[in-house]
Amino acid sequence: MSQTTISVEALFVYAGTKQLLGPINFRLMAGRTLVIMGETGAGKSLLAQAILGTLPDGLRSSGVIHLNGQRIDQLSPQERSRFWGREVAILPQEPWRALDPLMQACAQVQESHRFVAGLDKQTASTATANDFSTLDLNGAERRLPGALSGGMAQRVAFAAATAASAPVLIADEPTKGLDAERRDKIISLLAQWPNQGGALVAITHEAFVARQLGGDIMVLKSGTLVENGTSEEVLTNPRASYTQQLLDAEPHSWSKQPAVKSGELLLCAKNLCIWRNNTCLLKHFTLKLHANERIAISGPSGVGKTSLLDVLAGIRSPDEGHVTRMRSVGHTGIQKLYQDPPAAFPDKVPLGKSLRDVAQLHGVEWSVVSGYLSELGIHPSLMERRPDAVSGGELQRISIARALTAKPAVLLADEPTSRLDPITQRETLAMIAGIAKERGVAVVLVTHDLDIATKWADHHYRLDSVLS
Amino acid sequence: MIRSSVFWSAVAGRTSQAVLVAVVVGVVSFCMMQALPGDAAYRIAAGRYGYDMMDAASAAIVRIELGLDQPTSVQLLNWLGSLAQLDLGKSAVTGNRVTEELSVQLGHSLLLAGAGVVVSLLIAVPIGVAAGLRPGGIVDRISLGASIVLRAVPAFALGVLLMLALAVHMKLLPVAGFQSPKHLILPALTLGLGLAAVSSRVVRDAVCDAMSAEWRMFSRTKGLSRWQTLRRHVLRNAALPVVAYVGVQLAYVIEGVVIVESIFSWPGIGHALVHAIFGRDVAMVQGTALALGLLYVLLNLLIDLSCQGIDPRRRAIA
Amino acid sequence: MSHTQILANTPQQRGLNFARLLGLSLLTGLALCAVMGPELIGIDPARQSLMHTLQSPSAAHWLGTDHLGRDMLARLLSGAQLSLSLAALSVFTAAVPGTLMGILASWRGGWTDRILTLFADAVLALPGLLLVLMLAAISPGSWWALYAGLSLTLWVEYFRYTRQRSRVILSEPSVEASRLLGFGAVHIVKRHLLPEIGPGLLTIAAFGAATAVTAVAALGFVSVGIRPPTAEWGVMMTQLLPYWREAPFLILQPVLCLVLTVLALHLSVGVRKPA
Repeated sequence: MSQTTISVEALFVYAGTKQLLGPINFRLMAGRTLVIMGETGAGKSLLAQAILGTLPDGLRSSGVIHLNGQRIDQLSPQERSRFWGREVAILPQEPWRALDPLMQACAQVQESHRFVAGLDKQTASTATANDFSTLDLNGAERRLPGALSGGMAQRVAFAAATAASAPVLIADEPTKGLDAERRDKIISLLAQWPNQGGALVAITHEAFVARQLGGDIMVLKSGTLVENGTSEEVLTNPRASYTQQLLDAEPHSWSKQPAVKSGELLLCAKNLCIWRNNTCLLKHFTLKLHANERIAISGPSGVGKTSLLDVLAGIRSPDEGHVTRMRSVGHTGIQKLYQDPPAAFPDKVPLGKSLRDVAQLHGVEWSVVSGYLSELGIHPSLMERRPDAVSGGELQRISIARALTAKPAVLLADEPTSRLDPITQRETLAMIAGIAKERGVAVVLVTHDLDIATKWADHHYRLDSVLS
Repeated sequence: MIRSSVFWSAVAGRTSQAVLVAVVVGVVSFCMMQALPGDAAYRIAAGRYGYDMMDAASAAIVRIELGLDQPTSVQLLNWLGSLAQLDLGKSAVTGNRVTEELSVQLGHSLLLAGAGVVVSLLIAVPIGVAAGLRPGGIVDRISLGASIVLRAVPAFALGVLLMLALAVHMKLLPVAGFQSPKHLILPALTLGLGLAAVSSRVVRDAVCDAMSAEWRMFSRTKGLSRWQTLRRHVLRNAALPVVAYVGVQLAYVIEGVVIVESIFSWPGIGHALVHAIFGRDVAMVQGTALALGLLYVLLNLLIDLSCQGIDPRRRAIA
Repeated sequence: MSHTQILANTPQQRGLNFARLLGLSLLTGLALCAVMGPELIGIDPARQSLMHTLQSPSAAHWLGTDHLGRDMLARLLSGAQLSLSLAALSVFTAAVPGTLMGILASWRGGWTDRILTLFADAVLALPGLLLVLMLAAISPGSWWALYAGLSLTLWVEYFRYTRQRSRVILSEPSVEASRLLGFGAVHIVKRHLLPEIGPGLLTIAAFGAATAVTAVAALGFVSVGIRPPTAEWGVMMTQLLPYWREAPFLILQPVLCLVLTVLALHLSVGVRKPA
């Protein structure tokens, strides 16, 4: 039973002469799990591509790879492609982009059964129907990928990739872009894989995924191995400080932000109702917002969190109820932070110019703005760049500085850290909490992560889906 | 196969375009009529009854009947009213009913337009696919250069150059006219080369995009062979932008028909339109322009429906 | 008239590459010739000399003479002046209102948008050249009818592009953020809209100019545009076509001028690298 299905020795990936990844060594038995963990940009996805032989042009790999006792690294690309789907299956990142947009979901699974597993048409159809019912995809058979939710697309891709029961499954960032509920579903699906005798290699940036899947773990930082061991050892008792940092960044293990004494009343929302397409998303929502307060609003996707923020900001009017701004909150007293930081700045304008415009409009000296920037740890040289040349974390901090320049009383933050990696997420939210405390700003944070909501906020409003 | 609601919305959209075509053509023809020197009543009477049958009395009847003594705006409405009843009048030059003339010419123009599109696809698809499969390769570079140069040669200049080179200089083909199938070659080639200059690049981009798409890679990594992936996924996805682009090129096809027919004396609607403008035959100008405009709308509708046929997303109920 | 579609959408993909440099220098050269050429050579393009017809290039007539003994260089330069000024004028009178209406339609939405869009659809209902042809036919042979026809046809491209891009840009979070920060319409147009749509508008302008030059020559060639004896490239081609055997170099001259001008305009927006 315990036979090595995949082994990798001294694997390196190079771009020209620059080493991007390596050395990587591992050996994985059937029925075992290996989690490869590291931040975005740590070269994790290159590992999957090097194993498959699908590295992009300009990159090359060296090292010895065995798959089911056969050495594959020296084979031609044509020969290596014969292993795909049969000996090694891959669940790609963001599977909704990996499905043919013009073909019905069931046909994409059925063709795997037929052409890869070699079943006849009738048996392939039965097997497909079987997959759809075990994966809780009933009713999705005839839908096109564009009409599938992220979680459904992922399960369709899973069925298509594993139809020929390859002994090794590589899952590349399986939780990317999914909310908490769908994340749990895909992880429990992956966790079954080793139980059925397969070997699982999961690539992730979330310690949470590693904890759920168990098995062995390798922690990578900028392409090199920092630490490895069993998941239990590494996650409870990390030796490397980098691993510790990754673990601390998990919202689950944050310490609770101390409560702050709230100040004057700023904003008052009464009996708000919001409708979308004849469905009531939000019923009789009431909120009182005071200075210094931190409020979190959580709930699954599509529940109307963003619409609620727009109503509070006065950008859209509620279908019922009303929002009252106190006198002390001026015309520009409510500012917003956005989920996708690059989209929050005009793309063709250097950041410094954008900020100077704001300073000039509000009669604020530039030295004050650069004070905010240095407080938030932004190097002045970034001001000459355009938004697309700055990292998401830095850009989000610059947008905080921009909001502060308008001297806001209320800061509305719409999932401001969901596109950032865990360490940056933690830092950014800590900064926002600091601003609430020191400048008397009230913050409303929208998040899909319950841990963040409970650990970070003074008050937590949980919106439930009216659809389910 | 096509869900009817989507089908009918495409038809409705193109029908409203057809109405716009008629209004624009009618208004412009009316202006042309107003701008003509001399008494409008005489000209319309001539248009209706032919020059031989026309005299001061019939002009007077026309004047009262059409209200030519009324304000211009009323006259315009009357003009559009008769257009709405598909009363296109008679040619001022030949005296025949405009609809009769058009029924002969339409077939010729359709033949030329169809041949042009076929020639363009015969050139563009193989070259575009070869270039798209190896972006940056030799075929890609040469076809890009050829496309840039050819794109800069307007249809009539291309026609003249081809005519001089192939017909006059090398005596391979007849210069102009409409006697044998051989006469179709030069006009169709002129139209087709001009279309292929751009569409070969569209084919190339479509193939290139499809080959580098994430879904194509997944189709390979889930185990399908290169050929199975091409046949089951790449072809359909790459065909979609190409067919849609043929729709965009229809404007060029209609413009090309007008110009190319004139160069090669091809007896179609475009040739007739240019003749009518030259001869200031307003009824014929209106009739031919209307026919070309409606042909344009109809071909667009066909492309819309083909796109719906290829792309199941468009058939989904919105 | 349909060439813009594939290139106008990708202004970010064009760089200041070799093709672009070539196109811009060619265009500058042509413009200089058109502006100063007729003055410099000082020959009347209309002066006939029936004793010296269909001559080969010589010291007196650098590019030869046509069937009426008129100097080819003078006629080509005069034709360049006509084509380029007509193109520049019609592009200008199409671009400015087209862009402004596009911004207006996307900004106001509702009925403003519906009416302007209907107006644009009416122009687009017919293929462009057909519309120019008919508008020019209202007053055959006149310069202003051609100009009005071209402007009326060309503005739609600017309108549609601006409206479509602006709708996307105006709904972006960055514009919402600017509004929350207290900025007004001027700031949003200056910082959000113009930098985004500027390059695309330049592409449309270059292709629009090429369309105008082509249309003027095409109409002249089929005898429904500018009329003889005016020196216009299309008209010259029609007139020289019968003399193909005796003097093949003559008809090739206006063809070459036309192709070079269109090529220069196309190249001036850059070519996507085949990679």
